[in-house]
Amino acid sequence: MIHREIVLPAPREEVWEALTDPERLEDWFANDVDLDLRPGGGASFRWSNGEERHATVTEVDPERRLAFDWDDEGSVEFTLDDDVDGTRLIVEETSPAWSTALDLQASAFACV
Amino acid sequence: MSDPLGLVFGALADPNRREVIGYLSQHGTATATELTGELPMTRQAVSKHLVTLADAGLVEAERQGRETRYRLTEAGGEWDDRLDALRRHFERRRD
Repeated sequence: MIHREIVLPAPREEVWEALTDPERLEDWFANDVDLDLRPGGGASFRWSNGEERHATVTEVDPERRLAFDWDDEGSVEFTLDDDVDGTRLIVEETSPAWSTALDLQASAFACV
Repeated sequence: MSDPLGLVFGALADPNRREVIGYLSQHGTATATELTGELPMTRQAVSKHLVTLADAGLVEAERQGRETRYRLTEAGGEWDDRLDALRRHFERRRD
């Protein structure tokens, strides 16, 4: 599993907007974004290099949690928490491929 | 290659390649020259094993000036880039 945390200098409300408003997503995540923000809703991300990925929204808890499943493989969860400096954003991504290859590698060689 | 797991298990099946992984796991990064000095293998064998490990996605190469350093692949590098972009997104909005 991938786990990343970042503290952003903005209230949760604004971070939520950056994660869910296609126009804002187009400023940092992808070049062209479509997002139907409801469980079961579809999302499409296109990048300038021609890459395109599709996802299905699985969880929408405004200003708290957003989760989606990539249609090709894996799922992503965003969790927002208050922080003294703004908002702590936690990103977790899981993928069947990593759980077999990389987690195996990590656990097998942690004790070498 | 349509069988990524086959590549991974094939790469891990060789004890010498497991030595290479073990070394990288302990030291973070190494050049082929360092690995040759530390492990009981020829330079040629080390290079071959590194190619096999890289093909399986277990090891990645990074050029630093004249030398190439190898490290164990860590998933999630794309999130570091995306979250950097998100941080810059908020910096732009504050300006």
